[in-house]
Amino acid sequence: MTSAALPVWMVTSYLAGALAACLFPRGRLARWLTATGAVIGGASALALAGAELMRSSLGGGQEAFHIVDPLSAVFLAVVGAIAIPAALYGVGYTRAWEGRRSLRMPGAMLNLFLLSMSLVTLADGIFWFVFFWEGMAISSYLLVMTEADEPGTVRAGNWYLGMTQFGLGFILAAFFLLLPPDGSGDFTALAMHAQTLSPGLRSLVFILALIGFGSKAGLVPLHVWLPSAHPAAPSHVSALMSGVMIKLGVYGVLLFGLRLLGGGPAWWGGLVLVLGAVSALLGVLYALMEHDLKRLLAYHSIENIGIIFIGVGAGMMFLGYGLPALAVLGFVGGLYHTINHACFKGLLFLGAGSVLHATGTRNMEEMGGLIKRMPRTSLFFLVGAAAISALPPLNGFVSEWVVFQALLGGSAIPQREVAVLMPIAVAMLALASGLAAACFVKAFGITFLGIARSHEAREAHEAPVTMQVAMGALALGCVALGAVASAMVPALGRVVAGLAGMPPAPATAVGWSLGLRLSAPGAVGQISSLGILLGLVLLLAAIPVALWLFRASRALRVSDTWGCGRIAQTPRMQYTATAFAEPLRRIFAALYRPTEDVSIDFHPESRYFVQSIAYHARIVPWFERYLYDPVIDRVTAWAGGVRAIQSGSLHAYLTYLVAALVILLGLLLLWGG
Amino acid sequence: MPSPAGYAVAIAQAALALLLAPGLVGLIRLFKARLQNRRGAPVWQPYLELRKLFAKEVVVSTNASWLFRAAPFVVFTSTVAVAFLVPVLAVPSPFDAVGDLLVVVYLLLLGTFFLALAGLDPGSAFGGMGSSREMTVAALSEPTVALAIFALALGAGSTNLGQIVARTMADPASAVSPGYLLAFGALFVVTLAENGRLPVDNPATHLELTMIHEAMILEYSGRYLALIEWAAWLKVLLFFSLLGNLFVPWGVATALTPASLGWAFATLIAKLAVLGVVLAVFETRVAKLRLFRVPELLAVSFVLAVLAITVSFLVR
Amino acid sequence: MDSAFGQLAVLGSSLVLMCGLTLLWRRGSSAHIAAFAAQSVALAATAALIAVFTGSRELWLVAVAFLGLKGVLMPILLSRMDRRLGGPRELEPYVNTATSLVIGGLLVVLAYIVTRPVLEVSRLPTRSGMPLAMGLIFVSLFVIISRKKALTQVIGFLALENGIALLAMLGTYGIPFIVEMGVFLDALMGFLVMQIVIYRIQETFESIDVEQLNRLSQ
Repeated sequence: MTSAALPVWMVTSYLAGALAACLFPRGRLARWLTATGAVIGGASALALAGAELMRSSLGGGQEAFHIVDPLSAVFLAVVGAIAIPAALYGVGYTRAWEGRRSLRMPGAMLNLFLLSMSLVTLADGIFWFVFFWEGMAISSYLLVMTEADEPGTVRAGNWYLGMTQFGLGFILAAFFLLLPPDGSGDFTALAMHAQTLSPGLRSLVFILALIGFGSKAGLVPLHVWLPSAHPAAPSHVSALMSGVMIKLGVYGVLLFGLRLLGGGPAWWGGLVLVLGAVSALLGVLYALMEHDLKRLLAYHSIENIGIIFIGVGAGMMFLGYGLPALAVLGFVGGLYHTINHACFKGLLFLGAGSVLHATGTRNMEEMGGLIKRMPRTSLFFLVGAAAISALPPLNGFVSEWVVFQALLGGSAIPQREVAVLMPIAVAMLALASGLAAACFVKAFGITFLGIARSHEAREAHEAPVTMQVAMGALALGCVALGAVASAMVPALGRVVAGLAGMPPAPATAVGWSLGLRLSAPGAVGQISSLGILLGLVLLLAAIPVALWLFRASRALRVSDTWGCGRIAQTPRMQYTATAFAEPLRRIFAALYRPTEDVSIDFHPESRYFVQSIAYHARIVPWFERYLYDPVIDRVTAWAGGVRAIQSGSLHAYLTYLVAALVILLGLLLLWGG
Repeated sequence: MPSPAGYAVAIAQAALALLLAPGLVGLIRLFKARLQNRRGAPVWQPYLELRKLFAKEVVVSTNASWLFRAAPFVVFTSTVAVAFLVPVLAVPSPFDAVGDLLVVVYLLLLGTFFLALAGLDPGSAFGGMGSSREMTVAALSEPTVALAIFALALGAGSTNLGQIVARTMADPASAVSPGYLLAFGALFVVTLAENGRLPVDNPATHLELTMIHEAMILEYSGRYLALIEWAAWLKVLLFFSLLGNLFVPWGVATALTPASLGWAFATLIAKLAVLGVVLAVFETRVAKLRLFRVPELLAVSFVLAVLAITVSFLVR
Repeated sequence: MDSAFGQLAVLGSSLVLMCGLTLLWRRGSSAHIAAFAAQSVALAATAALIAVFTGSRELWLVAVAFLGLKGVLMPILLSRMDRRLGGPRELEPYVNTATSLVIGGLLVVLAYIVTRPVLEVSRLPTRSGMPLAMGLIFVSLFVIISRKKALTQVIGFLALENGIALLAMLGTYGIPFIVEMGVFLDALMGFLVMQIVIYRIQETFESIDVEQLNRLSQ
């Protein structure tokens, strides 16, 4: 099929999937039809994006229908690529809803959600962009509310809807400030008009766009909706929201920063960098204290968005200082991490969904020993956990390496007071990635390893085949995306080239192991992720051979865990998730302000014997309590005051109507005459 | 294009590091013993320990899974992989193109990650405690390491190990520049933290509640324990090689002639011996810190690294 | 900067600064007094270093004065004070240790930024150490405002005086001897007054926790 037919295929299959869900609300056929619509739609999107990227890389061929530039193609590829495993996963996951919930709304909304996201990336004018942006928001809200009977879902949905509308207000304001006098909403017209605006107005537009798109992406302090909304949604939807939807916030910032405004003063980049670094650190610090598996993953999304914005912010700073080669590195690092995060976060959410599906709970403290009951799920989750902890040779490490190299180039910035931001960002990024590794040791270790802590965990079953295939595909993607770094970085560099006058990436593939060599001034680095992968695999295989050669003993005996001479081992003797994170809770107590409640029930006859101990630990949610609650209280109070005009009396309402009419006529007379 | 001789030397240097590591630890233990007025075991005692462990039977917990059995191999593999990247004998190594200083740090984190998971696997309280503490210490030393790498890379213009060594050799005055000395101090503290030496962790303790690294590997025995111990000793040698060859690179071979390689070997032994003696004296002198004083020590090393950056970065 | 003189001057200033940072790290009074003594010795050594390279006799006198008065005499007075006052060995400061150290590091970065204009203008080989001296001044001020025990605040004040002296030496190869001694005697007077005040506080409140002074307003 020609590339012109692909968009048609994409739209049709998504709509067909939605229609199928409406027509067949239950049954196996319905689930498969819905998923097939989404899968074919996703595959067409991926193919369309791939064709556009190939065309921009290799030249030649005709421009694909409706794709504006390679940057949109990258985000479209992300949408399509994650749609396929998520939809496939949905087939097995929604089987649990049989008889309890109708598939109509979730299935239709899933397809419409994917469709809106794809069309947002393809939009080349204000109207369609905002139309599909709202479509994406509404369809995802309805998806979040699928399990509205679960406690906390309604509240999460309200927060989510409120924050999307809040963001939309700022996005609309930014767009309207850029509107040229002739009213054409086309992006090229906007970009040309932006050149004529004063620097102050351009900065205002950027700030408005940053707030609007930042709230969608989950930048601190606009992140509070994320940890409640993502866990509340069904797991394949969470994967899509966390892996794909928040990336569209990044797309929006890049759209405004690069394409529409064409780069700006360095302080824009500095602001983005600071917000990114703070998000990265705060995201992971709050993730450490969570024992709800999906909330933990949601906070990690905030952390990774922070890392992406560190790369983007560094790129914008370098642009502002006239260092285009380094700027490309920053943007490439951000884009690469976008793709990688979509892959491993999608995988992790699907894994968490499998665990939820098997045990019925998201609480880590009730799990354990799942690695023996769900071997394949745990293997895939392990790959995702290793990827997000930036362990070589997986994809998370490679994109963080590129971001580090971009920050290293900060020594080229002439103003020393500003350049000192770069080492500070390096330190914060390193701390965030170290804490992320600690957090995922906790998440994987407490959930999957050890002994089962509850009846549900003991009886857990492996996930259905469709779910396993989806997770396996993403796990393979994590490994592959890391190994092809030497091709990805130059390709992403070509995507960014041309935007705001940037040259292609200073990166080449060298050597037999396809190493990646960067050669920007001040940031010369070389790495071969494929080489690392091959080396590790070779060494790993060599060890048993060496052991056999040296005739090491092969005897093995299974026995009890060492317990200082105790005989029985109960699940209560293991470490809990709260206990694992306790040293870090104490070290960062200035941030958390933890409080503990210990209530002990003594035996009625003697205080030497304890019947039960209840332990509650709380941390202070700074942003909710000190930023959002006062605002919400004030708005609620004001709304209560306004409610006074709703007296319920028909006469009062009629009087309002007449009064408004009279005032309007008076004003018209005043201005018309 | 690196020659076959280059590859041979690189493989030989990794093998050499692997062979010398138990001897280095034996030397440190012997010196500590003599300082504490004991006779101490001979320098080759760790080799005998390894031989004993490889011949013994492995006992695995009933709760353990495949991860418990795989972790020693992963830890050993990642540490040996680092041995290929760190400049032990000669620069530039042909594997310079595969990994730089950042890769070294994160490969070591890979080993720590799997070891921490293996601590949680048997479901014992000690293992969980060890994993929790180990990951805390590892996470808190990451910013220091990153800033120290930044300080070194600023001078050399790259995080590439061969280039850092070459730059210091070309400009001897930079080796005593305050930036380098401060970075050395910061990395020395990180060496203590990452390898579980006093004052962060006592490698010879028998009290489980005071352990960090030992508590994680409490369940291991036989050949698994041998692999883990050998990997830990190799890590000490590699950190010493980094401290020695990045900050005092003279003696590292730049040409692949037998004479320069022999000289490189001799200087390597000398640097390892000196650092081993320094470590032994230091460990005898200080007491182990409480767990919640360790972040303060790591904060000191972080401040040293910040000072290293400011001194070398802001004065230009 | 690259000359041996410059490098050694920066080395000396770094040692002085690090002794100042030790005041943020260690908690016991004896450790603080030892850090102050070491700092004064390092300061004297730096003064001697500058004296060697510039051939100034005054600086030799200054170095000996620092060594004798600040390196030996004051620590003796301080430990005598500490013995007489007794009290708890460690008081929890307003800001915990790790955070104080990170703030101390950031203060040094701030000092670098603040002294950049001076670095541009100065032509002396010792100019690279000036930001470190400025950093010591900031860190000492931070010690004074964030520690609760009065003795620690006094030591912080003395470290501040060290920092000022170091800055003067690096920036202008020392101020005239009379002025130097004048400044030092002022500090000595201040120290003796503080000693008397601390003894009075101890007698009134049975502790030298300065938070207790809040009770005076009741």
